[in-house]
Amino acid sequence: MKGLAKDLARRVARERVKTDPEDLFAYGGDATYYVKRGNPDAVVLPENTEEVSEVMKYAFRHAIPVTPRGAGSGLSGGCTPLHGGIVLDMKRMGRILDINRRNMSGRVEAGVVLADFHKAVKKQGLFYPPNPQSMNVCTLGGNVATRACGPHGVKYGATGDYLMGLEVVLPDGSVIAPGGLAARSSAGYDLTHLFAGSEGTLGVITKVNLRLLALPPAHRTAVVACESIEQAGDTVSEILAGGTLPAMIEFIPQMAIVAMNNYITPPLITEGQAYLLIDLDGTQDEIKAQTGHILGICRRMGVLDIRVVEDEKEAQTYWTARSNLGAMLLTVMKKAINEDVAVPRERIPEFVREIQRMASTLSKVVLGIGGHAGDGNMHPSIFFPEVNSEAENEAQATIRKVVRLGLSLGGTVSGEHGIGFHKAEFLHWELGEIQIRLLKRIKKAFDPKGIMNPGKLWKDGRAAPCSM
Amino acid sequence: MLDVNTYRDAMAKCSHCGLCQATCPVYLEDFLQTHLARARVDLIRAVLVEGTLPVTKRFREVLDRCLLCTNCSRTCPAGIPVDEIVAAARNRVYQGKRRDPIRRQLLRRFMHQRGMKGLMGMAGSVAHKMGWTPEELPAPASRSFEKRTKGRVPAKGKARAKVAYFVGCATNTLYPDTGKAVVHVLAHNDIEVLIPKGQVCCGMPALAEGDLTLVQEMMRKNVPILADCDVDAIVTDCTSCGMMFRAKAAKALPADDPLRPQAEALAAKVWEVTDYLNQVGLIAEPPPLSESYTYHIPCHRGWTRTVDDAPRRLLAGIPEAQLVELEYPDKCCGAGGTFFMDFKELAADIRSRKLADIRQTGAQTVLTQCPACRSFLRTQLGCDRVTHPIVVLAKAYGL
Repeated sequence: MKGLAKDLARRVARERVKTDPEDLFAYGGDATYYVKRGNPDAVVLPENTEEVSEVMKYAFRHAIPVTPRGAGSGLSGGCTPLHGGIVLDMKRMGRILDINRRNMSGRVEAGVVLADFHKAVKKQGLFYPPNPQSMNVCTLGGNVATRACGPHGVKYGATGDYLMGLEVVLPDGSVIAPGGLAARSSAGYDLTHLFAGSEGTLGVITKVNLRLLALPPAHRTAVVACESIEQAGDTVSEILAGGTLPAMIEFIPQMAIVAMNNYITPPLITEGQAYLLIDLDGTQDEIKAQTGHILGICRRMGVLDIRVVEDEKEAQTYWTARSNLGAMLLTVMKKAINEDVAVPRERIPEFVREIQRMASTLSKVVLGIGGHAGDGNMHPSIFFPEVNSEAENEAQATIRKVVRLGLSLGGTVSGEHGIGFHKAEFLHWELGEIQIRLLKRIKKAFDPKGIMNPGKLWKDGRAAPCSM
Repeated sequence: MLDVNTYRDAMAKCSHCGLCQATCPVYLEDFLQTHLARARVDLIRAVLVEGTLPVTKRFREVLDRCLLCTNCSRTCPAGIPVDEIVAAARNRVYQGKRRDPIRRQLLRRFMHQRGMKGLMGMAGSVAHKMGWTPEELPAPASRSFEKRTKGRVPAKGKARAKVAYFVGCATNTLYPDTGKAVVHVLAHNDIEVLIPKGQVCCGMPALAEGDLTLVQEMMRKNVPILADCDVDAIVTDCTSCGMMFRAKAAKALPADDPLRPQAEALAAKVWEVTDYLNQVGLIAEPPPLSESYTYHIPCHRGWTRTVDDAPRRLLAGIPEAQLVELEYPDKCCGAGGTFFMDFKELAADIRSRKLADIRQTGAQTVLTQCPACRSFLRTQLGCDRVTHPIVVLAKAYGL
């Protein structure tokens, strides 16, 4: 592959083209490495759109697969180079180009890290809500490519809801800029949002325009201990239907509360079967009214306990404990697989009950569940006390059962992580043959040679052009 | 830490979440996955444990281009001890021969002699005068701390506690002012200080070289000396020495080594001096000191929960002393022991971000508990603008 390196070095500075085996190995995939990893033939670190375009023209001419990637923090294998070729690491395109307070919009390069954007936006009194838990590392390009969300989803929606426009390099190297910075557009097919969730299969996202909100001036945290999972589900429904929209409502199972209590003073009661961790935001008056409303509902529902944390700094410890749950479990477990099956909100209790039943039948792995209760975006997680082939098999079988369960309840195979290769088979289950065929035809219109991130979204992956 | 194989389980815990990208100073300059803990650990496993990839020049570079700063380990949800894994891998790959024989001999002499004695001292001074040493290394002090202060420094009043002072090499040879401040501030607060005789380097530089034999040589000298002291605590002014004793020393010895229980018992008693003072409280109220400071938190801080906040709390107790926080107080400065000598440009790039942050504060003085950070920052900021927080307290007391 010396020729490939040489050719690429003519288009991008030599030091930003990597072909040493160690470098290729390092770009083998993301957090789904345990299922599969790939080995690219070259890694390119472009610094601007022109370089991406030059690489794409070359790849298109020679029909070389190209896999774009951000931080590689994905949980579905979206950036795993299954068919080799070129990996485009977009992290060097990390400039925040503009934060426009008057237009309430931001414009960034695809490799900007979400938390850096949050910080920059906040400095101007503005707010960008999507907050996947990988926000300290994940990139905005990756967020668009997977339609990432996070706990703010219940009130503020997901990345797609903030997407105003894009700059994209198409597989043949041409550059398009669908959308723009206008708040509304009815200009034909919405290509901008077609790229949201496209997982690098249609082109390379190089710039992103995002809508911003005003920064809520205050926050308040509340924890509700419920006597049953059903009661937690009903409480969430009542809170939302009653007109209070918390910024976050997290569902936390009893076993997790025991671990969280290590961080929290005084510890929470552990008698509850399910807990709700709630964040309210707005002005002080709004928060006061929302708190009153939630307290009223909780009393009416007869919950076991409700704690309102007035001090914002103290409240942060609850959210830190929530974020650290996985970490705490990983200190005793050897490995974890996180899924993101989303179900209609009203079916959460059913989903959780069935997952718990399923968990009780397992012997090699542990199945737990938490998630964003407000929008039914749940996270069943599988933990490995020991890593061996028996545990792997049980884990894979369990994932399939969990996905089937979610779909049977009217849910979706992926609430926010995306499909990648990991859930490619499941996408068939959810969409069916006709929709999958339609997706393939869209893919072919953008990528006639099938070079963009082959092997993703559907099982036959690379076969997009020839299967038509 | 002896064998990379002992880290099999720890390596298996890596979920490849990639959260180490948020804090690895090298990655944040290179933006290359290969130079990230996630890939380093994977590569070490593939090359040294599974043998599926060979040891190559590039692999060695991946091992070397790590500051051992521990930022990744502190960010890692599974708490994987990446620094130890890298050190163990260096040990396996280099087998104590990472440098040429002359430099290895110099390091060994330096560590055994605690810096600059006799011929070594003369050679060091000459080298510095001739400009042969990196500009980041300040001139050795005319008299080492150990020559100035020996034995025991009595408490000013009735001793309420007795501590042993482990004097790091840098304090001993480059920054005796820190050592002086440590003993005087402790004594001023009714704490008796012993300076055990025969101390050698804590071993951290050898750990970074992957030379575990040399680390163990240091342990065999230091551990019995410190363990023999009948004291309430062992204090050091250097966060890296502290980390070495608290978190690494016992692990660097074989499981059946008779010294290991002693090293383990010792670990629990080790404190960084400002952290210790906060725990026991100041007896003497510091007089006002109208100066502004900012605080750079050394990377080697994960061995205690409170050391990162200790200087802030001490400063808060000095009337009129003003602390202006850095935007990123916990980001690495790029020094990494001797890393800055091996990767000059990279280290300077990491430092430039820290310097910009420091300059933005407008503070007169930068405080940090790591002599390597102090050396690396002072060349750009001026000698008198970077110091140890204990020196500020000594100044407030007029000591």
